[in-house]
Amino acid sequence: MIPTIDSPVARALMRYAALMLLLACLATTAGATSYEAHLPPELSTSPRMCDYVPCAEVLPGADSFSERKGSPPYVEGYRGSGDGKKLVGYVMLSTDITDLPAYSGKPVVTLIGMDARGYFTGVKVLKHSEPILLLGIPEQALIDFNHQYVGKFVGDQLEIGQSRPDEHIVGLDAITGATVTVIAQNQVMLNSGMAVAKQVGILKPTPRAAAKFVDSGAAPTWQQMVEEGSLQRLSVSPAEVGSSGAGPFIELWFGYLNQPTLGRAILGRSGYDRLMADLKPGDHAIFVIRTAGGESFKGSGFVRGGIYDRVQVRQGRDIFSFRDTDYLNLYGVAAPGAPAFTESAIFIIHGGNAFSAAYPWQFVFLGNKTDRETRTKTFVNFDREYWLPANYLQGGRPLVVKPDPTWLKIWKDRAGAIVAFTALLLGVAVVYANRDGLVRRSSHKNKWPVNGFKYVAWVISIFFAGFGLLAQPSITQVLTWFHSLLFQWKWELFLSDPFIFIFWVFIIVTVFVWGRGLFCGWLCPFGSLTELMYKVARALGLKRFQTMLPKRLHDRLKWVKYAVFIGLLAVSMFSMGLAEKLAEVEPFKTTILVGLFKRSWPYTLFAGTLLGLSIFIERPFCKYLCPLGAALAMPTTFRWFGLKRKQECDTCKACAKGCGSLAIDRDGRIDQRECLLCMDCMILYYDQHGCPPLAQERRRRTKSGLEMTRIGADGYFIPIRQIPTQAAEK
Amino acid sequence: MVDPRLPSDRVELPYATRPGIVAWLTAEIWDHLWPWSRAGFQTGRALQGAGLALGLAASVVWILAGLGHMQAGAVIAWWFGWSVFEVVVRLGAKPYVKEGPWWGRCYRRAGRMDMLCYVGFKNLLIGAALFIALKSLGALVV
Repeated sequence: MIPTIDSPVARALMRYAALMLLLACLATTAGATSYEAHLPPELSTSPRMCDYVPCAEVLPGADSFSERKGSPPYVEGYRGSGDGKKLVGYVMLSTDITDLPAYSGKPVVTLIGMDARGYFTGVKVLKHSEPILLLGIPEQALIDFNHQYVGKFVGDQLEIGQSRPDEHIVGLDAITGATVTVIAQNQVMLNSGMAVAKQVGILKPTPRAAAKFVDSGAAPTWQQMVEEGSLQRLSVSPAEVGSSGAGPFIELWFGYLNQPTLGRAILGRSGYDRLMADLKPGDHAIFVIRTAGGESFKGSGFVRGGIYDRVQVRQGRDIFSFRDTDYLNLYGVAAPGAPAFTESAIFIIHGGNAFSAAYPWQFVFLGNKTDRETRTKTFVNFDREYWLPANYLQGGRPLVVKPDPTWLKIWKDRAGAIVAFTALLLGVAVVYANRDGLVRRSSHKNKWPVNGFKYVAWVISIFFAGFGLLAQPSITQVLTWFHSLLFQWKWELFLSDPFIFIFWVFIIVTVFVWGRGLFCGWLCPFGSLTELMYKVARALGLKRFQTMLPKRLHDRLKWVKYAVFIGLLAVSMFSMGLAEKLAEVEPFKTTILVGLFKRSWPYTLFAGTLLGLSIFIERPFCKYLCPLGAALAMPTTFRWFGLKRKQECDTCKACAKGCGSLAIDRDGRIDQRECLLCMDCMILYYDQHGCPPLAQERRRRTKSGLEMTRIGADGYFIPIRQIPTQAAEK
Repeated sequence: MVDPRLPSDRVELPYATRPGIVAWLTAEIWDHLWPWSRAGFQTGRALQGAGLALGLAASVVWILAGLGHMQAGAVIAWWFGWSVFEVVVRLGAKPYVKEGPWWGRCYRRAGRMDMLCYVGFKNLLIGAALFIALKSLGALVV
C-alpha cells in the first residue's frame, strides 16, 4: 500500500521525523568539561602558572611550586619547606612548549607532570576543541588515553599502536575514532616532556661528530652566501602572530660563524680571530640580525631572568637556549652587500659534542599569537633550517636520514589496508564507469549484473571500511576543514587519517564526474548498512510492511536535509562548538565509530530508531536528514555525466514507479541531487521487455517478422534501414 | 512537450554558442562574474539596481580587505549576504545554469535550488580563493 500525504501512515511519519529531530537535539545536551573551556588569560603569561591551574593534580606529592623558569618554561614542584624542601618533579604547560594543533586545528592545552627521574606522574587536559570528543566519544576516553603515560619514562619511544619490544617501542592504545587527536597528543606529550627533561638533565643530549671545516680563504659577498645557503632568512608575517599591518612582523638573517671562510666574511679577519679566541672547545657561535619589523628577537626575558626567551637553536631533539652569558655584541657585518639591520647579536651554543655544524639545525623564533576576540595569547614558533653547504665541510655533508613524519609512518604501517581500501574505491569507480555494459546485461527481472557488484561494495564498505577502518565521512570533517582553513591548516593532520583522506579525494572527484550517488549509494558505510537492512528485511518476508513515502510528502521532506546542512554551516560561522554539537544529527559516530551501546541512551535511541526505520523505509536518513548528503548534493547539480532518459519518459512512469530514491518527477526527469545511482532506471532503459517504448517496438517487430537490432546508446533499437539492391540501383 | 533528458527546459544563449575558445571564455566570464542582464533590468529594475549597488559594495569590501581595513568576520558576512542577494538577482536576470561538463555549452532553466547551488558553489570558490590570498598576504587576520 502506498500511503497518501494525508493518510495516518504519513501523519505518523511526520510525527516520527519530528521525534527524530527532537532526539537529535536531546543527544546534543550531553556536555564536556574541557571542551572550549575558558582559561584565565594570565595562564600563558604569569610567572605563577600554578596559581591558575591545579599543578598538584599532575604532580602528586608536591605542595609548592616555583615560578616559571627555563626556556621553554616549566615549573618545579616541591614537597615540604625550609631545609626539608625536596624537589618532587616538574610541571609543564604544553602550549608553552609546542604549538602543535590537534584535529580541530587548535592545540589541546595539557598540563603535564613529570617526576625528578623523568617519569610522567599526571596529565590533565585543560582545554580542547576536538569535535569528536565533544559528543562522539566521551571525554573520559581522552583522560584514559592520557592516563597511559603515567609511570612511563619520557625517554621511551612511545608510539600509538602495538608495543614492539624488539624495536624498543612502547605502544599506547589509541582512541577508536579519534586517531588524529591522539597522534597529535602523543607528539605534544613527548615534545613537552623531552624539552623539559633535557633542560633539567634527565635526558642527555645526542652526541654528534664534530664538523671539520674547509678554509678556502675566499671572501664571499653577502649575496653569494645567500645563494649558496650559508646565510638563511626567517620571516614572520603579522598575520602569523595575530596582528595586522604591512611588512613583516620580524625578518631575521642568521648564519654559522665558526666556519673560517664564513666567519671572516661576516666578522672580518680580526673580529673572527677574536671570537675564536674567546670560544671554548665545543662552543659554537651564530649571528642574528634583524633587517625588518619592529619586534625584538632578544625580547626582555634576559633582563628579568637572564634568558633570551625568543630565540633557540634545535638540532634533532636537542634544544639550545641562550642566557645573557651566551651573548656577544655584533657591531657590524663585514661582507659586501650586507643589508642594513636594526638589531644584532652573536649567540654562543655551549653544545659540547651535542651540537655539530656538520648536521642540519634549526634556528627558532618563539612568539605569541594573540586571539583578536579573546585577547588571549598562545605560543607559536617559527623555524628555519640551516645546514652548512658541503663545500665548507671536509668530506662534504654527512649522510643524514631524517625520521619519517608521523603521518608517513601511519601510511607505511597501514600500507596493506590503504592499498585494499584504494582498490575498493577504484574498483567501484571502474564498475560504475562500465555501467552501460552492466545494465545492458541486466533486466528488470534480473538485476544481478549490477546489483552483484553493488551488494559486494556495500558489504565491504560496511564491514571493512566502516567498522574495520572507521572510514566514515561526516559533515563534521567538512566543518573542521572550514575551521582549519580559517585558523591553521596543517596537511599533516589530515594525512594522519589516511582512509578518511583518501575517501574525501575520491568523493570530491566522483561528485563532479557522476554526482553524489556513487558515494552515497554505493560506498557510504552507514547508507549501505541501512539499505542492506532494508533489502535483507525484504528477503526475509517483511516486504508487506515496507513502504515508500508519497511523492508529495517526500518532495517536502527532502528539503529538511538541506536545511540541516545550511543551518550547520550558518551556526559554524558563529560557533564551531555548537555546530559540532548539532552535527550529532548524524548517527555515524554512534553506529560506526563508537558502537551503538557504548554511548548514553539518547544517542543509542536516535541511531537505533533510524536503523529500525530503515527496515521499513528505504534510506530514510539519507533522503531526509543527512547533512553530508545535502552538502554533496549541491555540487551534484553540476556533475558532468548524468543518467540517460528518453523522450517517452515524460509520460511513461515505469522507471519512476520503481525508483527507490523517489528521484524521478512526474515529467520523467531525474533529480540528480536526490539520485543515489541505484541504476534501476538504467536497467529499464535498455530492457526490451521492461521499458514500455522498447517493449512496444519489440512487439511490433516480432509481429512484422523484423530483425531485433541492438539497442543503441539513445535507448532505442537501431533502426532498420532498407538498403537498395544493386538491381534497383541499376 | 517536456524533455525529460534534461533536468529542466533547455535555454539557448546566442552569445554562449559562438564558436572559438575566446568566445567561450568570454561567455564564461560574462556569466560567472556579471549576474545582471538587460532582460533582468526590464522586468525588475528596482531589484536589479539594488543588486548592482550591493554587488559594488561587496567588491569595495574586498578592496578594503585587501588594504587591511576589514575584519575577517565582516568580509565573510558581506560575501555571504551578497551571495544570497545574487541568487535573487540571477533568478531575475540570468535564470539558467549550465548542464553537464563545465567545458560544454548546454544551458537549462534554473530553479531556485539550482541557482542556490550554482551561486553558493561559485561564490564559495571565489570567496575562498580571495580569502586565502588576502590571509597569506597578511591583509586579513583571523
